[in-house]
Amino acid sequence: MPQRPVTINGKRHVIEADDAMPLLWVLRDLLGMTGTKYGCGAGVCGSCTVLENGRAIRSCQTNFSDTGDKSYTTIEGLSAAGDHPIQKAWLAEDVAQCGYCQPGMILELRSLLRSKASPSSAEIDAALSDHVCRCGSYPRIRKAALLAAKSGGGR
Amino acid sequence: MRTDRRTFIQLCAATSGALVLGVDFAEAAEETAKPFEPNAWLRIEPDGRIVMKVGKSEMGQGVRTSLPMILAEELDVAVESIYIEQASPGPSFKGLGTGGSGSIMGQWMRLRPAGAAARAMLVAAAAERWGVSASTLQTSNGAVVDGPTKRRATYAELASDAAKQPVPEKPQLKDRKSYRIVGTSRKRTDGPDIVTGRARYGIDVRVPGMLYAVVARAPQWGSKVESFDATAAKKVSGVRHVLQIPNGVAVVADNTWAAMRGREALRVNWTVSPHASFDSVEHMKALERAIEKPALTIRKDAEGRAAFEKVKKTYEATYSYPFAAHAALEPLNCTVFVGEGKATVWSPTQTPNGVHAAATQVLGLPESAITVNVMLIGGGFGRRLGVDFDREALEIAKLVKGTPVQLVWSREDDMRHGYFQAASVHRLAAGFDDEERLVAWEHRKASTPHNARSVPTKDDKVNPETVRGWAWGVYDMPYFIASAEMSYAVVDAPVPIGPWRAVFSPPSVFARECFIDEIAQETKRDPLKLRLTLLGADDPSVSPIFDVADEHIDRRRLRKVLETVAEKSGWATPVAAGRARGIACNVFHTETYIAYVVEVSLKKAGAMPFRVERVVCALDCGVAVNPLGVAQQVESGVIWSLSNMKSEITVRNGSVQQGFYTDFPVVMIDETPMSIETHIVASDDDRPHGLGEPAVCPFAPAVVNALSRLTGKRIRSLPVKL
Ligand code: FES
Ligand code: FES
Repeated sequence: MPQRPVTINGKRHVIEADDAMPLLWVLRDLLGMTGTKYGCGAGVCGSCTVLENGRAIRSCQTNFSDTGDKSYTTIEGLSAAGDHPIQKAWLAEDVAQCGYCQPGMILELRSLLRSKASPSSAEIDAALSDHVCRCGSYPRIRKAALLAAKSGGGR
Repeated sequence: MRTDRRTFIQLCAATSGALVLGVDFAEAAEETAKPFEPNAWLRIEPDGRIVMKVGKSEMGQGVRTSLPMILAEELDVAVESIYIEQASPGPSFKGLGTGGSGSIMGQWMRLRPAGAAARAMLVAAAAERWGVSASTLQTSNGAVVDGPTKRRATYAELASDAAKQPVPEKPQLKDRKSYRIVGTSRKRTDGPDIVTGRARYGIDVRVPGMLYAVVARAPQWGSKVESFDATAAKKVSGVRHVLQIPNGVAVVADNTWAAMRGREALRVNWTVSPHASFDSVEHMKALERAIEKPALTIRKDAEGRAAFEKVKKTYEATYSYPFAAHAALEPLNCTVFVGEGKATVWSPTQTPNGVHAAATQVLGLPESAITVNVMLIGGGFGRRLGVDFDREALEIAKLVKGTPVQLVWSREDDMRHGYFQAASVHRLAAGFDDEERLVAWEHRKASTPHNARSVPTKDDKVNPETVRGWAWGVYDMPYFIASAEMSYAVVDAPVPIGPWRAVFSPPSVFARECFIDEIAQETKRDPLKLRLTLLGADDPSVSPIFDVADEHIDRRRLRKVLETVAEKSGWATPVAAGRARGIACNVFHTETYIAYVVEVSLKKAGAMPFRVERVVCALDCGVAVNPLGVAQQVESGVIWSLSNMKSEITVRNGSVQQGFYTDFPVVMIDETPMSIETHIVASDDDRPHGLGEPAVCPFAPAVVNALSRLTGKRIRSLPVKL
């Protein structure tokens, strides 16, 4: 099986895995980084979202062989102390219900704010509109997203 | 609030040593210390740490936040000073189930005396130490204080003496007026772990040396494995074992993905299913036939249906409700390690004792040899009251003894092999007198009772007590109508039916509350006014309180929430152009009173041809322990119910046709109402009642009532098609 280097949260790992293995399972099962969630494996729920060179992608749809020399950020690496403006906004608005969808939501928002520092409510809805939260924490996600944008979540 | 770092999941995660060592270490640590442990819920360590057992599963409803508030209130300590540990089934914890929106009420009854008893013992210890009467002492924020002398001793200092005091049988509980913690808004304990990815759900359990499994299950209910060919599956790199278990064939591999690929390569021949021709369209027709005649009566007031012979006019309508899935975002999973003469289970379960019992059966070990760790749950909604997935994991782990194994259901597995909400059909009839007053009521429901965990017997199906238990929302109709009769027809189906959020209520309340709206329309009355009238607002002879079966409904409380929601929503004022309002209400289990007013508009395209613009909710849940949590549960219930207006589970040829969020779509953020307001109505009821489920029931009918007004067309089935 091929060995490949992959950079996750600033750390370079050399991993032996099948080329076709989705990054999701490399993270969860090979590296034990379980913050990235499995929800559908089909690219429809968004719970496996991670940042690839800063842009949100679905790790269940990304083959290990395609990770190349890109750099990835998972929820564990969004900030060292859990105090990224988005994380702080999330806590301020007490967003989570079960919380399972939230790493994906947070990273999708991080990606949006990077390209658009002050999105409108409609733009936030559009960016998150293919992320499932079965618990229905959406009203608070909206509030937290606006708060995060205001407090520098795009930096 | 802090999570106790000693909880052994974290211990296991933090050590690279063997799992069993982790367990033993935690137990040994507890043995050497001598904590003050007045009861199973609470202990104060010699170092002063207050450790509380959380006896309910956390699935987002906030029990790990609200339950410590209750204990802290009676113990008189800061909530932040409490460490929490998730309780595991065992001699002290025989009833850990989480369901029926009963967590807050059930634990209120236990945690208050637990906290109060401990506080009394700490006070008694201080009184003895200082040679004064206990009645002269007070407590404040984790210490006993002697007012006159200003002497002060912390609970930590008193803990070992307190342990020698007798446990009071009936400790004095705080008066509601003196609550400092209960009734204040508190954010989620698990929030920081959730936003950093540290929160560990069942599916996140990682134990050194573990393998991962998926199971090939019968494509149709009732089929069994006839034979299988594992040759190709075993060639998939990473696949270690292919094993037959009672429920199918398990593929066990080094990682989840390899197990899934192994399953794709597996060839299984299944026996012919006895249900191969089952079709949900035909089933709906069978339900419709079943309500043509009245079935088993479960409530009869005055003359019952005979009253229809005397009425001036009768109005009837038939409603239907589809099968529905739970579709929690965390797919079902369970991790098991079977060692020599002992076993450990990690499950995101709503029924820890059920898992414990299943483990003893499958493994043939005594309960004392089995540890069940209750993990965070990525959405429960009743599905995890089943132990089918735990059983599968136990069967697999038994075959790979000595190696921990995690069973994961794929999204499709989770959707296709659900324990569904039962489809139902409802026929309602209203009889009017000369003055168009509603004097006769009939509600017939046909559906399939729960059959997934245990199949109802022939006797069950003709026993009105049992059958009534399947007809929530039908038999507990809160309105006063002189004569009424409710009945339930059992129509069996091979579809596994189990508890779903609000269990039997949503379909019944949907039919009842839409029908009330139709009556208002038919008799040209305001639907709010009609409801208030039927709840005795203008007629003192209508009893404000009535009993049905063992439930106790207070019509005044329902009136109050209706009046509040009307006022807050501006019910009497004109609505914006292009919108219409709808209203509905319910009493859930006679405990939580709730009403909605919604405003809707129409949308041109999309899976949901309408938009809910505004939601106003008023509720009376007795004591609102954590008002923030109450509002969150309302938002969650609204979105759950809205999803149900958009999707359904259908069956063809004995197989569920949906497998993903694409064909069973749930509500997304861009379909979420922009405004959801919750108003908590003050209440004399000094107990707290649940909200996870009650918030669901009257929402869909409020929306349908608004849509009917907007389109001029009555909607009588879900999902909504305009
Ligand atoms: S798990 Fe990747 S989108 Fe659902
Ligand atoms: S909080 Fe449970 S799925 Fe979003």
